[in-house]
Amino acid sequence: MRKLGAVAATGVVLLVLALAGWMRAPLPAAQGGATISGKVKFTGAKPTMPKIDMTEEPKCKAKYTAAPPTDEAVVVNANGTLANVFVYVKAGLPEGYKAPAPAGPVTLDQDGCRYHPHVLGILVGQQLAIKNSDGILHNIKAKGTKNRPFNISQPTVMTSDRTFTAPEVMVPLECNVHGWMHAWLGVLPHPFFAVSGSDGSFTIKGLPPGTYTVEAWQEKYGTQTATVTVAGSETKTADFTFAAK
Amino acid sequence: MISALLLLAGAAPFPISHSPFPVQDTTRGKAVYVKWCAGCHGDGGAGDGVAAAHMLPRPRNFTGAIYKIRTTASGQLPTDADLMRAIDEGLPGSAMPAWKGRLSDAERRDVVAYIKTFSSFFADTSQHVAALKFSGEPSGATGATALKTGRQFYDSIGCRKCHGDQGRGDGPSARTLKDDAGFPIFAADLHQSWRFRGGGSAVEIYHRLRTGLDGTPMPSFSDLIDQKFLTDEQLWRLAQYVRSLSPPEPPEVRDVIHAPQIVGPTPVSPDDSTWARVGRYWFPLVGQVVRKGRWFAPAVTGVWVQGVHDGRTLALRVSWDDRTQSPDSAWLPFEQRVLETVAGDDSGPPKAEPWPDQLAVQFPRRLPESPAGMERPYFLMGSETDPVYQWRWTSSPRKSLAGLARGIDRFDTLPGAVAAQASFDHGEWRLVFTRALATPDTANEVQLAAGRAIPVAFFGWDGSSGEHGSRMAVSTWYFLALDRPTPPGVFISPVLAMLVTLGLGLVVVRRAQRRATARAGRQR
Amino acid sequence: MTAAPAVRRYAAHPFWQAVGILVLAYIVVVWVVPLLPGSAIVPKSVVLQYMVTVLVGLLIYVSDNEERWARFKEPIEAVLVEPRLRVARAALLVVVTVLVGLIAYGQVATTVAAPPNLRSIHPAPPTEITFRGKSITLTGLENPLRAHPESLPLYLAEGKGVYYRNCLPCHGDHLDGQGHFASGFNPLPANFQDNGTIAQLTESFVFWRVAKGGPGLPREGTPWNSAMPQWEDFLTEREIWSVILFLYDQTGWKPRRWETEPGKGESGKGKGDD
Repeated sequence: MRKLGAVAATGVVLLVLALAGWMRAPLPAAQGGATISGKVKFTGAKPTMPKIDMTEEPKCKAKYTAAPPTDEAVVVNANGTLANVFVYVKAGLPEGYKAPAPAGPVTLDQDGCRYHPHVLGILVGQQLAIKNSDGILHNIKAKGTKNRPFNISQPTVMTSDRTFTAPEVMVPLECNVHGWMHAWLGVLPHPFFAVSGSDGSFTIKGLPPGTYTVEAWQEKYGTQTATVTVAGSETKTADFTFAAK
Repeated sequence: MISALLLLAGAAPFPISHSPFPVQDTTRGKAVYVKWCAGCHGDGGAGDGVAAAHMLPRPRNFTGAIYKIRTTASGQLPTDADLMRAIDEGLPGSAMPAWKGRLSDAERRDVVAYIKTFSSFFADTSQHVAALKFSGEPSGATGATALKTGRQFYDSIGCRKCHGDQGRGDGPSARTLKDDAGFPIFAADLHQSWRFRGGGSAVEIYHRLRTGLDGTPMPSFSDLIDQKFLTDEQLWRLAQYVRSLSPPEPPEVRDVIHAPQIVGPTPVSPDDSTWARVGRYWFPLVGQVVRKGRWFAPAVTGVWVQGVHDGRTLALRVSWDDRTQSPDSAWLPFEQRVLETVAGDDSGPPKAEPWPDQLAVQFPRRLPESPAGMERPYFLMGSETDPVYQWRWTSSPRKSLAGLARGIDRFDTLPGAVAAQASFDHGEWRLVFTRALATPDTANEVQLAAGRAIPVAFFGWDGSSGEHGSRMAVSTWYFLALDRPTPPGVFISPVLAMLVTLGLGLVVVRRAQRRATARAGRQR
Repeated sequence: MTAAPAVRRYAAHPFWQAVGILVLAYIVVVWVVPLLPGSAIVPKSVVLQYMVTVLVGLLIYVSDNEERWARFKEPIEAVLVEPRLRVARAALLVVVTVLVGLIAYGQVATTVAAPPNLRSIHPAPPTEITFRGKSITLTGLENPLRAHPESLPLYLAEGKGVYYRNCLPCHGDHLDGQGHFASGFNPLPANFQDNGTIAQLTESFVFWRVAKGGPGLPREGTPWNSAMPQWEDFLTEREIWSVILFLYDQTGWKPRRWETEPGKGESGKGKGDD
């Protein structure tokens, strides 16, 4: 009888512990099989981006043999679509949804006095490896408002690692030595984001079933949203169109 | 029971105070803030008080919890001691005064607590706030090897990109710099350590190198030490090198410029070797905030002045730090941003134009009859009825004029000229005016008499900061004295006094000895 | 171990005691006093006064007792007499002689100094001024805004805005005349926290000083030096009265009232300019 009581008590304690643990754990990062993909289109006259004068940095200037570098605020692809548009799930995931940060870092490279990539996404807690391939002085400054800022000096070929603690779209990154160097970092608690490529397309994979608000962010033209409902492992299309201003 | 404990432990932990101050009262802090701080920093702490529009640098915006002067790593929140230090000591070179002695200890502690309520970061317990572990300053700070090492790293880690080759804030990137709010920001002039926001000692410079100045383009160099690109000692050497660019003590303002008499001719070139042997005098310049067309962000913070004469001619050398040899079209966008940031008396920001750099030296037209006479024309360029005699130099077209100023907006050139030679070298103008002590036009041109205190004042304009006309830096009246060589007669009385003293001394000794001998004789 | 008795002998000797006290007094006056809260560096002339006082006190003390006086004089006489102290004797004579020579040279060598700046801090105000073409009688004038106590918070807020937009660069955040531009001017901007400025004045006097500024000063106020603007060029009559309200409210001083001090000349003591 006494033994039974002990077992029962242990069981109750374990149950309560498990329950407590479950209540405190982040919601499971449910991976689904649905996909949202699409294209970011562009209408209107293609803007002329100003040329960047890199005379101050001969080492960087030498890397642009074909054409002089231009500002990357708007990059219109050959097929008339827009590159460097950050597309992400803004709403629709369960409240408090938090995916664990992947082990591998996201790399931001400073090469030819420009950031590669110009627009990128990262998960909360995931490492951002900031690489200086130029070997000349860059400072990398993050100017987030929900994340703490930082400003690191990198006068040589080196890599500095930083992480971000809060979701924020977007964290501006810049170099003050080279006033033309800008990059944009989207920090999210989930992996459902993509950046439109050189054909203007993007793909967000692995979504659990649900109805989502998807936002497309462009550095100069602002944001646009679409509502998409996916179920099972289907693929839905969401296209965005930005007009010249 | 256990689970309940576990639940409690897992729940939001008690806010852990990083504060070294036991009791802080945000309610009282608010009262202090509203009374003394809100005029500049704004009621909501956004750095947008009524005075803010007249300031460059702007007052701190507390809502982002981004602070320049910290002991913590780049991006970390400041410690309470860091905030307290900024309040206690003020931020030199800005409008922020030192509040120690102005507010009580309790008031300052409370206001620190209140300032922290403007940002949720301070309530976020996951924020890591810890002062960096700084090493002590290695010895040999001013040794040639130390400074050479420092200079080497100044070049190799790219300080010159913003601060310039000689450290006067004139590097190629300087004209593009903005702070986090988008306001224009000057790369620090490393020759004026007394204006460094976080203090001008080597220790303080080293701390700024480690922490960076958050919210500004100045990065942290701590990663370089962590990654063994630079040793801690080398960073110290850099700090010591930077310190060595400024005078050991902040320049003292003295009333009278003494211009010694030399065997002629007087030097006409600003780079003549004579100047290395003549004492220099510092005069602070401040914004012209007296007459309409006020200017609240003077770029010329002061001038160094030297003078020599040979009994016939005066040479007056004025040198000052200026990032640009204006007009410089590359700086026009920066100038526009300065004009848009600093409000004045115009209804809107003036348009940036390629203004030249200018300097004016001002004298009364005539000296008072008596050397003790103190009446002078109005210090700010005289008046309609009582004009002043001025030398004016402009960088473009490169010329100098002498004339009469009748207030800040009227200058009438005189036929009698003043010669000037100027050179610009890595962010410094050096300018030498030469003029005969006596001139034919005694009514309008001051006659530079030796042995008199001649009132003198200075005005400076940096064209690339939008300075022109009434937008200038001004000084009050000081004095110039053309010293005469000491006449031999002066030595007579000291020599006499010495002879008398020596004689008296000998008498005293002799008498004492005689007395002692007499005493010894009696005892025997 | 061998040094201890020698030290004790010196410490017990009235002459060396006196020397020790003098050195101690010097250290305290020059280095310790400035460390005390609320004090500043002691000027050289005051240091000299203190040292003379200490010296006189010491002399009175040692000469009070015949034996002490004799012992006190011993080392002095020894230097003057003892053959073994010949070098010290010669050195003393040379040092004193050179010192006297230097002091005498300092007295006679001519150096040009700034002329004396004699200035009346609070010159007598005119009885009447013309403010933007309007005639205002200062005698007996009180701040008209005080007649509307219900609107005082409004006026104070307005006055605070006027102060921070205009007065701050010179008169400073703490109203103590130490704004970030103050160091460029001579005379220094007025310190309103000091009990010798607005605390001594009627509001009509302050109105005159604000409205007419440096150029409006009479000759004895050295109008050529004062950087105080003529605020009638910038501010309205009401703005000036409201900023005056703010000055008194922020510093806690009460203005002098005409009822209690009718028509008295305003030549009080105080630091700074108006």
